[in-house]
Amino acid sequence: EEEKKEGLIEFYDSFKDMFEFFCKNTTIHGTIRLVCSDSNRMKTAFWTLLLLASFGMLYWQFALMFSQYWAYPVVLTMSIHSEPKMFPAITICNLDPYRFELVSEHLVQLDQMAEESITFLYGINTSASLFHMNEKNIHVKDLSSIGNLSRSSFKLSQNFSLLRMPDHSNRSGKKDSSVGFRLCNATGGNCFYKTYSSGMDAILEWYRFHYMNIMSQLPVIINVSDHEEQIEDMVYSCQYDGEPCRPSDYVHFHHPVFGSCYTFNSKGTDPFWTATKPGVPYGLSLILRAEQKDHIPLLSTVAGVKVMIHNHNQTPFLEHEGFDIRPGIETTISIQQDEVNRLGGNYGKCTMDGNDVNVKLLYNNSYTLQVLSEWLAEAPAYSECGCGYYYYPLPPGAEYCNYNKQPAWGHCFYQLYNRLRNHHLNCFDQCPKPCRESLYKVSAGTAKWPSAKSQDWIRQALRHQNGYNSTSNRNDIAKVTIFYQQLNYQSVNESPLLSENLLLSSMGSQWSLWFGSSVLSVVEMFELLIDTLVLCLLFCYQRFRSKKTLKVTHTPTVPS
Amino acid sequence: RYSSMKDYLSELDKETKKALETFYGFSEGKSKVRRSVDEWNSTGSDFFKHIPLLKFEDFSKTATDLRSGQKRKIEGSVFHKDSSIVNSGDSNDIIGFQLCDANNSSECALYTFSSGVNAIQEWYKLHYMNIMAQIPLETKEKLSYSADDLLLTCFFDGLSCDKRHFTRFHHPLHGNCYTFNSGENGTILSTSTGGSEYGLQVVLYIDEADYNPFLVTSTGAKIIVHDQNEYPFIEDIGTEIETAAATSIGMHFTRSRKLSKPYSDCTETGADIPVENLYNKSYSLQICLHSCFQKAMVDSCGCAQYAQPLPAGAEYCNYKKNPNWMYCYYRLHEKFVKEQLGCQQICKDACSFKEWALTTSIAQWPSTVSEDWMLRVLSWDKGQKINKKLNKTDLANLMVFYKDLNERFISENPANTLVILLSNFGGQLGLWMSCSVVCVIEIVEVFFIDSLSIVMRRQWQKAKKWWNDRKRDRSGKPPQAGDLERQGHDNPVCIDEDLPTFNTALHLPLPQDNPLPRTPPPNYSTLRLETAFTEQLPDTLEVGQH
Repeated sequence: EEEKKEGLIEFYDSFKDMFEFFCKNTTIHGTIRLVCSDSNRMKTAFWTLLLLASFGMLYWQFALMFSQYWAYPVVLTMSIHSEPKMFPAITICNLDPYRFELVSEHLVQLDQMAEESITFLYGINTSASLFHMNEKNIHVKDLSSIGNLSRSSFKLSQNFSLLRMPDHSNRSGKKDSSVGFRLCNATGGNCFYKTYSSGMDAILEWYRFHYMNIMSQLPVIINVSDHEEQIEDMVYSCQYDGEPCRPSDYVHFHHPVFGSCYTFNSKGTDPFWTATKPGVPYGLSLILRAEQKDHIPLLSTVAGVKVMIHNHNQTPFLEHEGFDIRPGIETTISIQQDEVNRLGGNYGKCTMDGNDVNVKLLYNNSYTLQVLSEWLAEAPAYSECGCGYYYYPLPPGAEYCNYNKQPAWGHCFYQLYNRLRNHHLNCFDQCPKPCRESLYKVSAGTAKWPSAKSQDWIRQALRHQNGYNSTSNRNDIAKVTIFYQQLNYQSVNESPLLSENLLLSSMGSQWSLWFGSSVLSVVEMFELLIDTLVLCLLFCYQRFRSKKTLKVTHTPTVPS
Repeated sequence: RYSSMKDYLSELDKETKKALETFYGFSEGKSKVRRSVDEWNSTGSDFFKHIPLLKFEDFSKTATDLRSGQKRKIEGSVFHKDSSIVNSGDSNDIIGFQLCDANNSSECALYTFSSGVNAIQEWYKLHYMNIMAQIPLETKEKLSYSADDLLLTCFFDGLSCDKRHFTRFHHPLHGNCYTFNSGENGTILSTSTGGSEYGLQVVLYIDEADYNPFLVTSTGAKIIVHDQNEYPFIEDIGTEIETAAATSIGMHFTRSRKLSKPYSDCTETGADIPVENLYNKSYSLQICLHSCFQKAMVDSCGCAQYAQPLPAGAEYCNYKKNPNWMYCYYRLHEKFVKEQLGCQQICKDACSFKEWALTTSIAQWPSTVSEDWMLRVLSWDKGQKINKKLNKTDLANLMVFYKDLNERFISENPANTLVILLSNFGGQLGLWMSCSVVCVIEIVEVFFIDSLSIVMRRQWQKAKKWWNDRKRDRSGKPPQAGDLERQGHDNPVCIDEDLPTFNTALHLPLPQDNPLPRTPPPNYSTLRLETAFTEQLPDTLEVGQH
């Protein structure tokens, strides 16, 4: 039987044979030493130890390498690019929210209420004229019919009046008090006071709360082009690259606090806005009206113009990155672009266009982290209070909060506020960063403008051309110049520190360092393992057979 | 607070005004200073009787010795001429002061300034420090503005905040400063989103009328954005904000981390720097430099400079105790600037630091329409403490916020780790020599251990032979053939159990060359016998079984 087997497959007679054969013929370095220094026990032991040690070293190094690889480290490469590019989008706001005619009646009522509260709280009789500035209201032409409907239904609520409360938590020695207003839930229970240590903050917040309710009756989409207000009322002069801006280049929107805003070059497709050269003469130069007479003095207390430099198709978050311009001052803003490209995938969460984010974005512009974080603030407010906060865009089918319809939304919203903070904080884990980001670094210098000597003729010229009708000596114009400091932009790119290729090659190098072997040697090792198993089986089988034959041969001899 | 400091500073101020009057005539304008100078002039003679109480009087006196009366000149000579404002030369252009070594009056240093404004401010500051050094800290804190005075409103992250969120610390020159969110009560506030609405909004009350006219010439406030365990170096890197304006400061946060030794020469905690950290804050280069200078100051001048914290066991310099300190200080400062003190060499960069890049923009505030109601409300809030209506130039609105919550983190990583080094090594060895660690050890074994052992063995044999020869010579017997025979490969000591490698084969004659005498020569009969034996083998086996 055995001869037959050997004819089919040549196989080792013993483990020793097999091991010797392996050691002599394998491509792994050093194994031959185990055999050829057979007669010297010390040497064999030494070589065995050495082999085991280098085996250990190899796997230790492998472990380090893989742990490094699976951490997905990235290397940032910085490079300076210079190529012709578009001027960024510029948004300017006049920090002067205007009164829509539709709600002006309510606003006057609100102003009166505020005045009464101030008188009640502070005993000061604010001059009535302050709140009744009979300036023009913004009239939305086509929407008067809708306006009439809502006008009749809306009523200012008297439930939320400002109160003064003694502050008990303070030390008894000083008489501190805080000002606030009371918010209750729908049934009138569970009331709490929203208090502020400073009366100014309280009044501003209180006014804002009412203002939002009033504004909520306005239709969601206001067709801005129908407005009486024109860009000429705000921008007296606009020059880009030495040429006058085209009249059609801007987009208008109304911000509840920052007033009417215009975005220049919002799409970034017009070749007019190509940046050809760096420097002040080739930038955008604007002369702006910076009205100091706010239409709604309790809503915004600052005067000037807000400017923001941002990417095309990006929603401008003026409260985040807006830059203030003072009236009577010339501000020169130099910008420099930075670009960040992220790898995404295993190397860090990022999204190309926000489509793969599992929340629906309310701003129909390109994705930024702010957009998502604003949404995360809005979503729970909407789902729990049943209406949308006026500052944020509306989800489809929803309506803005209004205490005539949802009397408890203020209670709900302010209660939610603390929880919203956690939502924001969650955002850092949830919200992916955009894979491609452009940042504009801004640095500014200021000078007084117009100078005392030039003041007269500049005013004359503006009066003549733009219907600028200020006779006062006060500064209510501002000049701003925005230009590229340099057309080079710094681009920061992520690239993987360890690619698969690199990993394999360093694995191969380690192998070759410790054993002088390759993948095939690993296969050889596997072969040895399999051979051992087979041999084990064979021996077991043989022993089994021999036992059987022994039994067979033994049984007849025993009786004799 | 100038008004409460008046008691301490009145003499110095009068002296300063006097100096100003003598230098510049002060004929133009009817400033407030002018008026008080006039006032002083009327009571001047009384005042001079009290002069000896304060030491700084004599500087301005010697200062004016070129011009004004001899009365002061006499008094000036009573005191040692330590320091003086000198109007050098005939022209009024150059103004400075002279500092002399008190022990050795011939050693003097003259400090001049191109502008009189700088000279007077510097001179004033010196004396101011002298006076302040004598006042205990608690008194100074009381003299300065309290949080109630400074803060009118406070609003953070959509919630109201108040003075309890601010921690006071006393700055030697700027008086009381307040740190928002210092983390001292254990909680650190965090902001949920960027944007001005969610940042810190405060309205500060700045009492312009109560400013020290000589120490500070600008109005406003200074702010600095720093980490909780970082010391705010207000005078070095503070940003100034204006009154009657809303300053919005947008921040971008950058965190950097360098690798310490051996990659770069930076320090993690500052513990390895031989300069004691005098500030109770975490290490920074600035802290180290200041501490180092202060230490040098204490060592060489015997007292500590007022603008920096006190080292243990030292006290602030003042004129009564250390008449020499100003001269010493200026000398030392000059050395420090010229990097002769060694501080710049000792101090190292910190390995990790945080940085806030600020974008400051200013808008008009309050707007003309909102000014009225706001000032009224704020005045009421301020309460009965001040019985005047606030002016908008007394107020500054400050907003500090994150532009976005992106954090830029710059960290260094070693380009070559041990793994990469080893794998490069292995790759190169494999590529050029197809060699591994095993083969390196083989080479070492063959060329060093084996050949060494062979050489040793030969030496041993030689030595043994020589020893045997000598023994035989001594005993007188001629060497026996048998002895010689046994010394060869018969000798059990010399039998090489190792398989001959290539080299050993070259070095050693094989034992087959001279066959052992014990082995019998090959015989044909034995060969035949063997064949017969194999034939018989099965039989013997069977027999054995039985």
